[in-house]
Amino acid sequence: MTADAEEISVRLVALLPRLRRFARTLSRSQHDADDLVQLALERALRSLDQFREGANLASWLFGIVKNAWIDSCRARGRRQEVPLPDDSGEHPAISPGDSEASLWSVSEAMSKLPEDQRLAVGLVLVEGMSYKEAAAVLEIPIGTLTSRLARGRSALAATLSAEGPA
Amino acid sequence: MNYDDETLMAYADGELDAALTAEISAAMETDPVLAQRVERHRVLRTQVAGAYATVLEQPIPERLLAAANAPAAPRLAGDSPRGEVAQFPGRAALTEGRPWGGREWLALAASLVLGMLLSWQFLSPSERSMVVASNGALVARGALARALDSQLASTQRAEDPVQIGLTFRSQDGSYCRSFTLTRAATAGLACRASGQWRIPVTASAAASEGGVRQAAAPPSAVVSAIEARIAGDALDAPGEETARLGGWDARPE
Repeated sequence: MTADAEEISVRLVALLPRLRRFARTLSRSQHDADDLVQLALERALRSLDQFREGANLASWLFGIVKNAWIDSCRARGRRQEVPLPDDSGEHPAISPGDSEASLWSVSEAMSKLPEDQRLAVGLVLVEGMSYKEAAAVLEIPIGTLTSRLARGRSALAATLSAEGPA
Repeated sequence: MNYDDETLMAYADGELDAALTAEISAAMETDPVLAQRVERHRVLRTQVAGAYATVLEQPIPERLLAAANAPAAPRLAGDSPRGEVAQFPGRAALTEGRPWGGREWLALAASLVLGMLLSWQFLSPSERSMVVASNGALVARGALARALDSQLASTQRAEDPVQIGLTFRSQDGSYCRSFTLTRAATAGLACRASGQWRIPVTASAAASEGGVRQAAAPPSAVVSAIEARIAGDALDAPGEETARLGGWDARPE
Protein backbone atom coordinates (compact mmCIF):
# COMPACT_ATOMS: atom_id res chain seq x y z
CA MET A 1 0.00 0.00 0.00
CA THR A 2 2.82 2.39 -0.87
CA ALA A 3 0.55 5.00 -2.42
CA ASP A 4 -1.67 5.04 0.68
CA ALA A 5 1.35 5.51 2.90
CA GLU A 6 2.46 8.43 0.77
CA GLU A 7 -0.97 9.99 0.96
CA ILE A 8 -1.22 9.78 4.69
CA SER A 9 2.23 11.31 5.01
CA VAL A 10 1.23 14.23 2.82
CA ARG A 11 -1.88 14.79 4.91
CA LEU A 12 -0.03 14.49 8.20
CA VAL A 13 2.62 16.96 7.08
CA ALA A 14 -0.10 19.37 5.99
CA LEU A 15 -1.70 19.14 9.44
CA LEU A 16 1.54 19.76 11.36
CA PRO A 17 1.17 23.54 11.70
CA ARG A 18 -2.30 23.18 13.20
CA LEU A 19 -1.28 20.31 15.48
CA ARG A 20 1.64 22.36 16.79
CA ARG A 21 -0.62 25.31 17.39
CA PHE A 22 -3.19 23.23 19.24
CA ALA A 23 -0.45 21.60 21.34
CA ARG A 24 0.90 25.06 22.10
CA THR A 25 -2.45 26.08 23.58
CA LEU A 26 -1.97 23.21 26.03
CA SER A 27 1.74 23.67 26.81
CA ARG A 28 3.47 26.88 27.73
CA SER A 29 6.65 26.09 25.84
CA GLN A 30 6.85 25.26 22.16
CA HIS A 31 9.35 22.54 22.97
CA ASP A 32 6.84 20.75 25.19
CA ALA A 33 4.17 21.31 22.56
CA ASP A 34 6.36 19.69 19.91
CA ASP A 35 7.07 16.73 22.19
CA LEU A 36 3.33 16.32 22.49
CA VAL A 37 2.79 16.44 18.72
CA GLN A 38 5.56 13.90 18.18
CA LEU A 39 4.07 11.56 20.75
CA ALA A 40 0.63 11.95 19.17
CA LEU A 41 1.97 11.25 15.65
CA GLU A 42 3.66 8.10 16.87
CA ARG A 43 0.48 6.94 18.56
CA ALA A 44 -1.62 7.79 15.52
CA LEU A 45 0.63 5.80 13.20
CA ARG A 46 0.50 2.80 15.51
CA SER A 47 -3.28 2.85 15.49
CA LEU A 48 -4.07 3.87 11.93
CA ASP A 49 -6.24 0.79 11.65
CA GLN A 50 -8.57 2.36 14.23
CA PHE A 51 -9.13 5.39 12.06
CA ARG A 52 -12.72 5.01 10.99
CA GLU A 53 -13.76 5.18 7.40
CA GLY A 54 -15.59 8.46 6.90
CA ALA A 55 -14.01 10.17 9.89
CA ASN A 56 -12.16 13.45 9.72
CA LEU A 57 -8.40 12.92 9.95
CA ALA A 58 -7.80 16.29 11.62
CA SER A 59 -10.40 15.64 14.32
CA TRP A 60 -8.99 12.20 14.94
CA LEU A 61 -5.48 13.60 15.38
CA PHE A 62 -6.62 16.44 17.64
CA GLY A 63 -8.28 13.80 19.81
CA ILE A 64 -5.00 11.87 20.00
CA VAL A 65 -3.11 15.04 20.97
CA LYS A 66 -5.73 15.64 23.66
CA ASN A 67 -5.36 12.11 25.07
CA ALA A 68 -1.56 12.28 24.95
CA TRP A 69 -1.64 15.59 26.79
CA ILE A 70 -4.01 14.32 29.48
CA ASP A 71 -1.81 11.25 29.95
CA SER A 72 1.28 13.40 30.33
CA CYS A 73 -0.51 15.65 32.84
CA ARG A 74 -1.44 12.55 34.84
CA ALA A 75 2.09 11.20 34.59
CA ARG A 76 3.45 14.39 36.09
CA GLY A 77 1.04 13.95 38.97
CA ARG A 78 -0.77 17.14 38.15
CA ARG A 79 2.29 19.09 39.09
CA GLN A 80 1.45 22.75 39.18
CA GLU A 81 3.13 24.54 36.36
CA VAL A 82 5.36 27.21 37.78
CA PRO A 83 5.23 30.48 35.90
CA LEU A 84 8.90 30.68 35.02
CA PRO A 85 10.16 31.91 31.69
CA ASP A 86 10.29 28.88 29.41
CA ASP A 87 12.90 28.00 26.85
CA SER A 88 11.29 30.25 24.32
CA GLY A 89 13.14 33.09 26.01
CA GLU A 90 12.83 36.00 28.37
CA HIS A 91 9.73 37.94 29.14
CA PRO A 92 9.36 39.96 26.00
CA ALA A 93 8.96 43.67 26.38
CA ILE A 94 5.25 44.26 26.13
CA SER A 95 4.33 46.52 23.29
CA PRO A 96 1.03 46.75 21.47
CA GLY A 97 0.90 44.58 18.40
CA ASP A 98 4.00 42.62 19.34
CA SER A 99 3.07 39.08 18.39
CA GLU A 100 5.64 37.39 20.67
CA ALA A 101 4.46 39.40 23.64
CA SER A 102 0.88 38.61 22.86
CA LEU A 103 1.60 34.89 22.57
CA TRP A 104 3.51 35.02 25.83
CA SER A 105 0.79 36.74 27.82
CA VAL A 106 -2.04 34.63 26.37
CA SER A 107 -0.03 31.43 27.02
CA GLU A 108 0.44 32.54 30.60
CA ALA A 109 -3.25 33.12 31.02
CA MET A 110 -4.08 29.79 29.36
CA SER A 111 -1.69 27.91 31.62
CA LYS A 112 -3.74 29.03 34.63
CA LEU A 113 -6.89 27.38 33.27
CA PRO A 114 -7.97 23.91 34.34
CA GLU A 115 -7.19 21.24 31.72
CA ASP A 116 -10.76 20.80 30.52
CA GLN A 117 -11.24 24.52 29.95
CA ARG A 118 -7.92 24.86 28.15
CA LEU A 119 -8.95 22.10 25.74
CA ALA A 120 -12.29 23.76 25.01
CA VAL A 121 -10.70 27.17 24.46
CA GLY A 122 -7.91 25.71 22.31
CA LEU A 123 -10.27 23.88 19.99
CA VAL A 124 -12.94 26.56 19.62
CA LEU A 125 -11.14 29.89 19.93
CA VAL A 126 -7.76 28.94 18.49
CA GLU A 127 -8.54 26.08 16.11
CA GLY A 128 -11.86 27.64 15.13
CA MET A 129 -13.84 24.43 15.50
CA SER A 130 -17.61 24.52 15.87
CA TYR A 131 -18.99 23.50 19.25
CA LYS A 132 -20.14 20.26 17.69
CA GLU A 133 -16.72 19.42 16.27
CA ALA A 134 -14.93 20.34 19.49
CA ALA A 135 -17.35 18.31 21.61
CA ALA A 136 -16.75 15.31 19.32
CA VAL A 137 -12.96 15.63 19.66
CA LEU A 138 -13.25 15.88 23.44
CA GLU A 139 -15.91 13.15 23.59
CA ILE A 140 -18.22 15.24 25.73
CA PRO A 141 -21.79 16.55 25.27
CA ILE A 142 -22.15 19.97 23.65
CA GLY A 143 -23.65 21.40 26.84
CA THR A 144 -20.54 20.39 28.78
CA LEU A 145 -18.32 21.92 26.14
CA THR A 146 -20.30 25.16 26.22
CA SER A 147 -20.03 25.54 29.97
CA ARG A 148 -16.29 24.75 29.98
CA LEU A 149 -15.78 27.22 27.20
CA ALA A 150 -17.75 29.92 29.00
CA ARG A 151 -15.84 29.40 32.25
CA GLY A 152 -12.50 29.30 30.44
CA ARG A 153 -13.27 32.49 28.57
CA SER A 154 -14.35 34.31 31.61
CA ALA A 155 -11.19 33.31 33.50
CA LEU A 156 -9.02 34.28 30.53
CA ALA A 157 -10.71 37.64 30.21
CA ALA A 158 -10.17 38.27 33.92
CA THR A 159 -6.47 37.35 33.77
CA LEU A 160 -5.78 39.30 30.61
CA SER A 161 -7.59 42.43 31.77
CA ALA A 162 -5.87 42.25 35.17
CA GLU A 163 -2.58 42.62 33.34
CA GLY A 164 -3.96 45.80 31.94
CA PRO A 165 -4.17 46.74 28.32
CA ALA A 166 -0.77 46.64 26.68
CA MET B 1 -34.95 40.63 27.05
CA ASN B 2 -32.17 39.27 29.18
CA TYR B 3 -29.66 36.83 27.74
CA ASP B 4 -27.25 34.79 29.79
CA ASP B 5 -23.57 34.91 29.07
CA GLU B 6 -23.42 31.46 27.47
CA THR B 7 -26.05 32.49 24.97
CA LEU B 8 -24.16 35.65 24.09
CA MET B 9 -20.95 33.67 23.77
CA ALA B 10 -22.67 31.25 21.39
CA TYR B 11 -24.01 34.24 19.48
CA ALA B 12 -20.52 35.71 19.14
CA ASP B 13 -19.27 32.31 17.97
CA GLY B 14 -22.01 32.01 15.36
CA GLU B 15 -23.45 28.93 17.06
CA LEU B 16 -27.07 29.99 17.54
CA ASP B 17 -29.92 29.10 15.23
CA ALA B 18 -31.14 31.69 12.76
CA ALA B 19 -34.16 32.79 14.81
CA LEU B 20 -32.25 33.47 18.02
CA THR B 21 -29.40 35.06 16.08
CA ALA B 22 -31.82 37.49 14.46
CA GLU B 23 -33.47 38.21 17.78
CA ILE B 24 -30.18 39.06 19.49
CA SER B 25 -28.95 41.08 16.53
CA ALA B 26 -32.11 43.16 16.74
CA ALA B 27 -31.82 43.54 20.51
CA MET B 28 -28.21 44.72 20.19
CA GLU B 29 -29.38 47.58 17.98
CA THR B 30 -31.24 49.15 20.86
CA ASP B 31 -29.27 47.85 23.83
CA PRO B 32 -25.68 49.14 23.96
CA VAL B 33 -24.91 47.14 27.10
CA LEU B 34 -25.91 43.93 25.35
CA ALA B 35 -23.86 44.91 22.30
CA GLN B 36 -20.88 45.53 24.54
CA ARG B 37 -21.19 42.13 26.22
CA VAL B 38 -21.16 40.46 22.81
CA GLU B 39 -18.26 42.61 21.72
CA ARG B 40 -16.20 41.47 24.71
CA HIS B 41 -16.59 37.86 23.57
CA ARG B 42 -15.51 38.77 20.08
CA VAL B 43 -12.51 40.74 21.27
CA LEU B 44 -11.32 37.89 23.48
CA ARG B 45 -11.74 35.41 20.67
CA THR B 46 -9.72 37.59 18.32
CA GLN B 47 -7.05 38.20 20.93
CA VAL B 48 -6.59 34.51 21.79
CA ALA B 49 -6.71 33.29 18.19
CA GLY B 50 -4.35 36.06 17.10
CA ALA B 51 -1.81 35.24 19.80
CA TYR B 52 -1.41 31.67 18.59
CA ALA B 53 -1.38 32.57 14.90
CA THR B 54 2.38 33.10 15.08
CA VAL B 55 2.84 29.38 15.79
CA LEU B 56 1.65 28.63 12.25
CA GLU B 57 4.50 30.71 10.85
CA GLN B 58 7.26 29.05 12.80
CA PRO B 59 9.56 26.53 11.12
CA ILE B 60 8.43 22.95 11.65
CA PRO B 61 11.04 20.94 13.58
CA GLU B 62 12.57 18.23 11.48
CA ARG B 63 11.74 15.54 14.04
CA LEU B 64 8.03 16.21 13.45
CA LEU B 65 8.45 16.10 9.68
CA ALA B 66 10.25 12.79 10.06
CA ALA B 67 7.47 11.43 12.28
CA ALA B 68 4.77 12.54 9.83
CA ASN B 69 6.69 10.98 6.98
CA ALA B 70 7.13 7.68 8.77
CA PRO B 71 4.37 5.91 6.78
CA ALA B 72 6.15 6.71 3.54
CA ALA B 73 9.54 5.81 5.02
CA PRO B 74 9.04 2.77 7.23
CA ARG B 75 12.73 2.33 7.84
CA LEU B 76 12.91 5.66 9.61
CA ALA B 77 10.37 4.61 12.20
CA GLY B 78 11.07 1.45 14.11
CA ASP B 79 7.58 1.24 15.53
CA SER B 80 5.58 2.21 12.50
CA PRO B 81 3.00 -0.24 11.28
CA ARG B 82 4.07 -2.53 8.52
CA GLY B 83 2.55 -3.35 5.20
CA GLU B 84 -1.20 -3.47 5.05
CA VAL B 85 -1.66 -2.02 8.52
CA ALA B 86 -0.81 1.35 7.03
CA GLN B 87 -3.81 1.23 4.78
CA PHE B 88 -5.49 4.53 4.30
CA PRO B 89 -9.24 4.81 4.15
CA GLY B 90 -10.99 5.61 0.93
CA ARG B 91 -11.88 8.97 -0.47
CA ALA B 92 -14.92 9.38 1.72
CA ALA B 93 -12.62 9.77 4.71
CA LEU B 94 -11.09 12.89 3.26
CA THR B 95 -14.29 14.86 3.33
CA GLU B 96 -13.93 18.00 5.37
CA GLY B 97 -17.68 18.19 5.51
CA ARG B 98 -18.54 21.85 5.18
CA PRO B 99 -17.95 24.86 2.98
CA TRP B 100 -14.76 26.79 3.48
CA GLY B 101 -14.80 29.41 6.17
CA GLY B 102 -12.09 31.28 8.00
CA ARG B 103 -10.57 28.21 9.52
CA GLU B 104 -10.14 26.46 6.19
CA TRP B 105 -8.43 29.49 4.72
CA LEU B 106 -6.22 29.64 7.77
CA ALA B 107 -5.38 26.02 7.25
CA LEU B 108 -4.59 26.78 3.65
CA ALA B 109 -2.34 29.63 4.70
CA ALA B 110 -0.65 27.22 7.06
CA SER B 111 0.02 24.73 4.34
CA LEU B 112 1.46 27.47 2.15
CA VAL B 113 3.79 28.47 4.90
CA LEU B 114 4.62 24.85 5.32
CA GLY B 115 5.38 24.49 1.65
CA MET B 116 7.92 27.25 1.91
CA LEU B 117 9.37 25.92 5.13
CA LEU B 118 9.74 22.47 3.70
CA SER B 119 12.12 23.78 1.14
CA TRP B 120 14.82 24.16 3.72
CA GLN B 121 13.55 22.24 6.71
CA PHE B 122 12.98 18.87 5.19
CA LEU B 123 16.50 17.56 4.84
CA SER B 124 16.26 13.81 5.04
CA PRO B 125 13.31 12.80 2.93
CA SER B 126 12.44 9.33 1.87
CA GLU B 127 12.83 8.47 -1.77
CA ARG B 128 9.31 7.13 -1.61
CA SER B 129 7.79 10.47 -0.73
CA MET B 130 6.04 12.27 -3.53
CA VAL B 131 7.46 15.66 -2.62
CA VAL B 132 11.01 16.01 -1.36
CA ALA B 133 13.48 18.82 -0.86
CA SER B 134 16.48 19.05 -3.14
CA ASN B 135 18.98 21.89 -3.13
CA GLY B 136 16.59 24.15 -1.29
CA ALA B 137 13.60 23.53 -3.54
CA LEU B 138 10.70 21.12 -3.32
CA VAL B 139 10.71 18.62 -6.16
CA ALA B 140 8.32 15.89 -7.24
CA ARG B 141 9.22 12.25 -6.78
CA GLY B 142 7.56 8.89 -7.10
CA ALA B 143 4.02 8.70 -8.38
CA LEU B 144 3.74 12.47 -8.63
CA ALA B 145 6.87 12.78 -10.77
CA ARG B 146 5.71 9.94 -13.01
CA ALA B 147 2.32 11.57 -13.50
CA LEU B 148 3.87 14.96 -14.28
CA ASP B 149 6.18 13.30 -16.80
CA SER B 150 3.66 11.19 -18.62
CA GLN B 151 0.03 11.87 -17.74
CA LEU B 152 -2.10 13.99 -20.05
CA ALA B 153 -5.10 15.92 -18.79
CA SER B 154 -6.94 14.90 -21.94
CA THR B 155 -6.60 11.19 -21.35
CA GLN B 156 -6.29 10.77 -17.60
CA ARG B 157 -8.85 8.72 -15.73
CA ALA B 158 -10.87 10.07 -12.82
CA GLU B 159 -9.47 7.35 -10.57
CA ASP B 160 -5.83 8.27 -11.20
CA PRO B 161 -4.36 9.30 -7.84
CA VAL B 162 -2.69 12.33 -9.41
CA GLN B 163 -4.92 14.58 -11.50
CA ILE B 164 -3.23 16.97 -13.88
CA GLY B 165 -4.90 20.35 -14.28
CA LEU B 166 -3.45 23.04 -16.51
CA THR B 167 -0.24 22.73 -18.47
CA PHE B 168 1.32 25.99 -19.65
CA ARG B 169 4.52 27.81 -20.53
CA SER B 170 5.84 30.11 -17.87
CA GLN B 171 7.34 33.48 -18.66
CA ASP B 172 10.86 32.01 -18.62
CA GLY B 173 9.76 29.45 -21.23
CA SER B 174 9.71 26.42 -18.95
CA TYR B 175 6.66 24.18 -18.68
CA CYS B 176 4.46 24.21 -15.58
CA ARG B 177 1.63 21.86 -14.67
CA SER B 178 -0.90 22.16 -11.90
CA PHE B 179 -1.84 18.96 -10.13
CA THR B 180 -4.07 17.54 -7.42
CA LEU B 181 -3.27 14.56 -5.22
CA THR B 182 -6.88 13.57 -4.92
CA ARG B 183 -6.83 11.31 -1.90
CA ALA B 184 -4.38 13.55 -0.08
CA ALA B 185 -6.63 16.57 -0.79
CA THR B 186 -3.57 18.55 -1.79
CA ALA B 187 -3.12 20.68 -4.89
CA GLY B 188 0.01 22.28 -6.23
CA LEU B 189 1.96 23.63 -9.13
CA ALA B 190 5.06 22.00 -10.60
CA CYS B 191 7.47 23.72 -12.98
CA ARG B 192 10.20 22.09 -15.02
CA ALA B 193 13.72 23.09 -14.02
CA SER B 194 17.02 21.25 -14.51
CA GLY B 195 15.30 18.04 -15.55
CA GLN B 196 13.07 17.92 -12.47
CA TRP B 197 9.63 19.13 -11.47
CA ARG B 198 10.03 21.87 -8.91
CA ILE B 199 7.03 22.66 -6.75
CA PRO B 200 6.74 26.35 -5.88
CA VAL B 201 3.39 25.99 -4.12
CA THR B 202 1.14 23.41 -2.53
CA ALA B 203 -2.19 23.98 -0.81
CA SER B 204 -5.00 22.02 0.73
CA ALA B 205 -7.53 21.30 -1.97
CA ALA B 206 -11.21 21.72 -1.26
CA ALA B 207 -12.64 18.30 -0.57
CA SER B 208 -16.25 17.44 -1.12
CA GLU B 209 -18.35 14.37 -0.61
CA GLY B 210 -16.32 11.55 -2.03
CA GLY B 211 -13.02 13.38 -2.08
CA VAL B 212 -11.68 16.20 -4.16
CA ARG B 213 -13.96 17.14 -6.98
CA GLN B 214 -12.18 16.50 -10.21
CA ALA B 215 -13.64 19.59 -11.79
CA ALA B 216 -13.14 21.82 -8.78
CA ALA B 217 -11.15 24.99 -9.25
CA PRO B 218 -7.68 24.80 -7.70
CA PRO B 219 -7.15 26.56 -4.37
CA SER B 220 -6.60 30.30 -4.75
CA ALA B 221 -2.94 30.00 -3.80
CA VAL B 222 -2.35 27.70 -6.74
CA VAL B 223 -4.36 29.96 -9.03
CA SER B 224 -2.24 32.93 -7.94
CA ALA B 225 0.94 30.98 -8.60
CA ILE B 226 -0.33 30.09 -12.07
CA GLU B 227 -1.33 33.68 -12.82
CA ALA B 228 2.07 34.91 -11.68
CA ARG B 229 3.84 32.62 -14.13
CA ILE B 230 1.69 31.90 -17.14
CA ALA B 231 2.74 33.33 -20.49
CA GLY B 232 -0.12 33.24 -22.97
CA ASP B 233 -2.77 30.57 -22.72
CA ALA B 234 -2.74 27.12 -21.19
CA LEU B 235 -1.80 24.37 -23.66
CA ASP B 236 -4.55 22.49 -25.41
CA ALA B 237 -4.48 18.71 -25.72
CA PRO B 238 -2.19 18.56 -28.80
CA GLY B 239 0.11 21.15 -27.23
CA GLU B 240 0.31 19.12 -24.04
CA GLU B 241 1.18 15.99 -25.97
CA THR B 242 3.85 17.78 -28.03
CA ALA B 243 5.43 19.10 -24.85
CA ARG B 244 5.48 15.63 -23.37
CA LEU B 245 7.08 14.17 -26.50
CA GLY B 246 9.73 16.87 -26.24
CA GLY B 247 10.54 15.70 -22.71
CA TRP B 248 9.28 18.99 -21.26
CA ASP B 249 12.43 20.71 -22.50
CA ALA B 250 12.04 24.46 -22.51
CA ARG B 251 12.87 25.61 -26.00
CA PRO B 252 12.13 29.01 -27.35
CA GLU B 253 8.79 29.04 -29.13
